[in-house]
Amino acid sequence: MNTQSFERQLQQIDPPPPDSAARLRARRAALEEFDRVKALRGQRHSWRAPRVWLGGFAAAGVAIVGASLYWLMPASERVVAFRPVVPVQARTSARPPAVPDQSPPPPAEVTAAKQRPAPRLPPRRNVAAPAAPSAAGAPIAEISARASNPTAPQQPPTSAITAPAAVAAVPPAPPRGDEDELAEAQVTGTRILAPPGTSAPTEAGVVPAGGPPRGSNFIGNTIANLRGLDPTFGSRTLTLSDGRRVVSASNQADVNSAPYGAAQPQANDKFEQFAINPVKRTADEPVSTFSIDVDTASYSFVRRQLNEGAPPPAGAVRTEEMINYFDYDWPAADSRELPFKPTVTVSDSPWGTGKKLVHIGIKGYELPARQRPDVNLVLLLDVSGSMNEPDKLPLAQRSMAMLLDNLKPTDTVGIAVYAGAAGEVLPPTPARDRDVILRALYSLRPGGSTAGAAGIRLAYDMAARSFRKEGVNRILLATDGDFNVGISDARQLQHFVEQQRERGIFLSVLGFGEDNYRDDIAQALAQNGNGVAAYIDTLNEAHKVLVEQAGSQLFTIAKDVKLQVEFNPATVAEYRLVGYETRALAREDFNNDKVDAGDVGAGHTVTAIYEITPVDSAARLVDGLRYGGEEKKQAPDAGNADEYGYLKIRYKLPGSDTSQLIEQPIAVRTGVPRAVRRDVAFSTAVAGFAQLLQGGKYTGPLTYDDVYRQAKDALGEDPRGYRAEFLQLVRRAQGMLGQR
Amino acid sequence: MDNEQLTGLIRRAQGGDRSGFAELVDLHYDAIHRFAWKWCAHRADAEDIAQQACIKLARSLAQYRFQAPFSSWLYRLVVSCAQDWQRAQRRHLHAALPEDEPDHHAGRPEDAIHLTQLLEQLETLGTGMRETALLVHAEGLSHAEAGEILGVSESTISWRIHTMRRLMNKREQVASTL
Repeated sequence: MNTQSFERQLQQIDPPPPDSAARLRARRAALEEFDRVKALRGQRHSWRAPRVWLGGFAAAGVAIVGASLYWLMPASERVVAFRPVVPVQARTSARPPAVPDQSPPPPAEVTAAKQRPAPRLPPRRNVAAPAAPSAAGAPIAEISARASNPTAPQQPPTSAITAPAAVAAVPPAPPRGDEDELAEAQVTGTRILAPPGTSAPTEAGVVPAGGPPRGSNFIGNTIANLRGLDPTFGSRTLTLSDGRRVVSASNQADVNSAPYGAAQPQANDKFEQFAINPVKRTADEPVSTFSIDVDTASYSFVRRQLNEGAPPPAGAVRTEEMINYFDYDWPAADSRELPFKPTVTVSDSPWGTGKKLVHIGIKGYELPARQRPDVNLVLLLDVSGSMNEPDKLPLAQRSMAMLLDNLKPTDTVGIAVYAGAAGEVLPPTPARDRDVILRALYSLRPGGSTAGAAGIRLAYDMAARSFRKEGVNRILLATDGDFNVGISDARQLQHFVEQQRERGIFLSVLGFGEDNYRDDIAQALAQNGNGVAAYIDTLNEAHKVLVEQAGSQLFTIAKDVKLQVEFNPATVAEYRLVGYETRALAREDFNNDKVDAGDVGAGHTVTAIYEITPVDSAARLVDGLRYGGEEKKQAPDAGNADEYGYLKIRYKLPGSDTSQLIEQPIAVRTGVPRAVRRDVAFSTAVAGFAQLLQGGKYTGPLTYDDVYRQAKDALGEDPRGYRAEFLQLVRRAQGMLGQR
Repeated sequence: MDNEQLTGLIRRAQGGDRSGFAELVDLHYDAIHRFAWKWCAHRADAEDIAQQACIKLARSLAQYRFQAPFSSWLYRLVVSCAQDWQRAQRRHLHAALPEDEPDHHAGRPEDAIHLTQLLEQLETLGTGMRETALLVHAEGLSHAEAGEILGVSESTISWRIHTMRRLMNKREQVASTL
């Protein structure tokens, strides 16, 4: 024991000086809260709305949930404060948000009730959070839902699947004729979507007849049942209209068929399932084509899952999005006309002896402030009851508020919401009226069910009203991903988004919350809307996506960016594209300017990695054919034996419909320039990690420890701590998924 | 900054002046962080507590009525954030990670570990002991000030200080006879 008295020891504590990044984070969070409180005070009367004590109770419940979740997160995550959720709680009086100089829309709850007398859905609850606060939370939520909807008929709690009769009761289509195509079938509290008539019989067959049993067990079973109901469920919506994202049937049986034995407390999050890119023989298929992917949603989602103690479902791990989450210092292009130049490096593969990794890195041109076009932004927020969680609407509001800091005073911001009905909250307003915008934003309250399509239409109308011909016209949709439209209609929704894209209005999707996160729809919509799908789980993440990367979110510098690599059979025996499974393109699509592909925003970095097996390596996976004489083909052709392959990038400048081409050979003796050595190593570590999470099919002896070491050696400056956070995540995954 | 200037700054922030509030945070962050670190002897946790305290400051600054010195009021706020953190920690003693990174930022990692043990020991001595010990010994406040911050009487603080010394001495005696 220590010889000093404890008093003396306490006197001698000498804390280290605070970290400047942490100080900045705290300052930012505090200022943001300051804004929020101020905006709320501006509409004080709405604070004072009569409140049943049950409502207060509900708020306390949610606050406790928030608090528990908050401290469950690892240190670097805990930026989203658990805050009293009082402003978001359900209220007895459904009153319109207080919005100045604007006749407010009718209160969402009331309208919803009028339009749709059919079964009301109580808000969905957090079914499977590992912190297990939901057991206590559910009844409270139900009470508050009733309190906020006095006119609603008494319904069983969310946990109850409505009996077959109720299933068949398709609510009447909303009165507006143009919404017929988006008619919806509300099947259960979990809002499984199906075209009217098609799925009801199936449902009825499985759902136990009679009164719905209660209790949390039933919730789990119910969800499992619903998953089992329709094996193609979750993948059907994912197929784009051109059919490129079709998913093989063997793959899609169960979202949760992850490679880990552990029981998975998964909820209703939906991910497109995909098969991991296989190794290809250069002799068979020398050309590899794919669309760029600038999304990062996968990483944030995986992070959240791991931090909550649940292995991410396999479909949630998209290697390229994990890699692209981080910024890399690939040399940037220096003009708007040639918006990027590729950086190509070749290094040894850390998980395959004899194999090599080819990195293709791109950094989009950074638009100087004076070149920034005008912005016409419409924020479209899902305010349905399901958004009533600390990490949903409140986080969305705070995220959007941060975005305002990056706008020019003359840029405009409009706000629209959708729940049971869509409503315009704030007409396009110049960003200089910061207080007006903030007040409108913070006046939003969750309640009612979701009708995504009507909201999107309204938002597009608003954006069209304040259209900037030379500027950026974009809708920013914040949702927990649930569009309450039938499956076949989701395709129509996509089509609609595509049409609007042609008119020059783009769409980005910000995903919030879990359990119901429809990653698949969010991805599909953003891709069709020339936008980005990001998943925001903390205020830190919001800052990264909406402030640090505001340029890349808002300003597209190149459209429809496609990559094609032709490998040289004389030097490369096999190759494998790491990630980009959902972005594969047909070879002939490369030169077809009609085929849509990913867009690159100002300052965006995008990285693709190929693993190649040189011809002289013993590491080849695929045996050659005895018959077929491909040996002849592999005879080195004079002249190109010093090239691994040839890289082509096609892109369109914004506003142009004709693509440009960038070409460059990949020389065998390409190394890794010192300037990008760290970034190559770090992105390789992330790629390794993602592949391990997917089951490590191609990563041989690679372990989480290897990933950890490699990433740690490549931390670099890491001013915002994202890479350090990655290290924590690797440790977490290791703790959870074993020592492999 | 003298008292008058500070009062002016607080009033500005209370009136909704963003830059005034930012200045207030900048002015006090170091002190907040110092105390938070003393509370948990861990870099990341201290940053968390400090950040919570800053957020809470934004939320409750309007309630500061200039009756107690601002520093006492702020202490109370930070202590309550630290207590919240403590409670959450206790609730979720979740599975230990394969490797808990030692606090590289502390002068010597063993110091931090030792301090953690000491604080946990104090914690076991009774409610409010950790708070009291930190405020009085580590922060050098008077019993009256500590009482004001913790919302207990000065004599309670004195009693706690005395009790802690007694119990800790006893433990040490027991330890040395083993």
